[in-house]
Amino acid sequence: MLSGKPLRFLVGFILVVNGMFPALWILFTSLKTEAELTQKPITWFPHAPTVANYVRAFTDQPLPLFLFNSFMVALLSTMLTLLVSVLAAYALARLKIRGRDLILSAIIAVSTFPLVTLLVPLFEIMRALGLLNSWVALILPYTVLSLPVCTLILVAFFEGIPRDLENAAMIDGCTRIGALFKVVVPLSAPGVFTAGIIAFVNAWDEFLLALSFNSSPTLRTLPVGVTLYQGEFAFPWPVISAALIVGIVPIAVLIVIFQERVVSGLTSGGMKG
Amino acid sequence: MTAAASQKQGSAQAQSRNGGSLWLRVLDPGERTLALLLLAPTALLLALIIVYPVGRLIWTSVHTLSLTSGAPAVFSGLENYQLMLEDPVFWETTRNTVLITLITVPGALVVGLCLALMANLPFRAKWPVRLSLLIPWALPLSFAGLIFAWFFHSEYGVVNDVLRRIGLPGVIWFNSAGWAFAAICLTIIWKTSSFMALIILAGLQTIPRSLYEAADVDGAGRLRQFWEITLPLLRPSIVVALIFRTITALQTFDIPFTMTRGGPGTATATLAMYIHQNTVDFLDLGYGSALAVVMFALSMIVTALYLRMIRARG
Repeated sequence: MLSGKPLRFLVGFILVVNGMFPALWILFTSLKTEAELTQKPITWFPHAPTVANYVRAFTDQPLPLFLFNSFMVALLSTMLTLLVSVLAAYALARLKIRGRDLILSAIIAVSTFPLVTLLVPLFEIMRALGLLNSWVALILPYTVLSLPVCTLILVAFFEGIPRDLENAAMIDGCTRIGALFKVVVPLSAPGVFTAGIIAFVNAWDEFLLALSFNSSPTLRTLPVGVTLYQGEFAFPWPVISAALIVGIVPIAVLIVIFQERVVSGLTSGGMKG
Repeated sequence: MTAAASQKQGSAQAQSRNGGSLWLRVLDPGERTLALLLLAPTALLLALIIVYPVGRLIWTSVHTLSLTSGAPAVFSGLENYQLMLEDPVFWETTRNTVLITLITVPGALVVGLCLALMANLPFRAKWPVRLSLLIPWALPLSFAGLIFAWFFHSEYGVVNDVLRRIGLPGVIWFNSAGWAFAAICLTIIWKTSSFMALIILAGLQTIPRSLYEAADVDGAGRLRQFWEITLPLLRPSIVVALIFRTITALQTFDIPFTMTRGGPGTATATLAMYIHQNTVDFLDLGYGSALAVVMFALSMIVTALYLRMIRARG
């Protein structure tokens, strides 16, 4: 039987292949020429790597616009989520509130809520408010999507900040809200960051609402935009692959930089997967 | 805190407020007012995006409301529900949704458990393993659907290439209901198992080593240790992961939509896809709402079942 170093190497290899192979395969595909792609048997590594597919990914569809929409919707909804959940988490962690446990249970219940079922009423609301085909139509639901997990993460962090530090700031003439933003939030920066990254990834990945509410080509987000490369009968796979790689890079960079925070946030707050 | 002390604090607060300017009073309200103010944005958002829509959903589901005709909503009682019961596509999409849930949730749990046990080995460098579990989680579902549609391509897909290399015939995945369904389930299991693994891994790391050392002394084998120490202690983290996974499995949309558009025919269409089609394509809000009420009921049942399970087993 295998043991020790060889076993660890084998197991690590399996894990890395499982996690990375799909993205790697798409990278290989994106670098192949049309001719190489239709060779049989298929080649694994691109023989004559080309960036032509990336050029086409940017010219066939307004890829920078998809990226911009995704980025702005994710960023703005993350900021709104953080603002709202910082306030709520502070109230739940620090103030004497009747029915605190009830409010916390309600927040946990919302985190398991199937947002898909509200497609019809949300569609109606956004339509009535004239918000279809706007960033706001996505920012509001995405904020609610991440609000429960962010609030729970922040409550846990705030409870770990000594009250004395806040009291000291208040004696120095700070208001309670002032103390929250000048003392508690900066000291909970890791928690705020963790919550923020999770909110950002949730918003960046969402598909159904983006597909349903923003049908105008100029307001498409990236996950919806990448589905537009396929024609009725034609699937330009190398071009689709190139567009996917362009979409994967920002999220991969975020994950590589903040991997430890993301893991701690995912496992502490409980969340959607 | 004693009553006297709290009274004293209260009067001190009142004094400082009387002494302060009006501006300070606005900025520094009493504790209860402050709590209300801080929770107000959350309440407002939940009211707009969850509470009102739920009421509106139930209301719309008992009305005939189609945006194509432009006619106002007409109360129609349970007509939408009646239509639904007689609609074969409703039954097919519901069956597909339930099947996807019954296959991919246990599937992701088993694969996730294996990945977690593997990732828990003492690797010298932690980051490659951690990244390998995070990338599938962070990838948008629609990306995963497109990537795996290419994987399962009948001519140039890597899956058929591997099958042919080991001497098996390739499969035309997306032309038959069964194979298309299998491809979708495999994709969902791949996409969701690493999230399961991350949750279970966190649970594994809280199990004290001393338990295993004691079991070693008692002569219990590895397998017995797994069944009698690891699994029971993992139960809380597994239950949490299962609840979230099941609720999201019932909402499955992105992966079948990007892989097969529900085809061939409606063989791989899910309830969420049918809700989307009725709402956005047909603008039949009444019928779409009735369908959504069914999905809502399904997820309530799941949540209730799991909560009972947690309570029953303590």
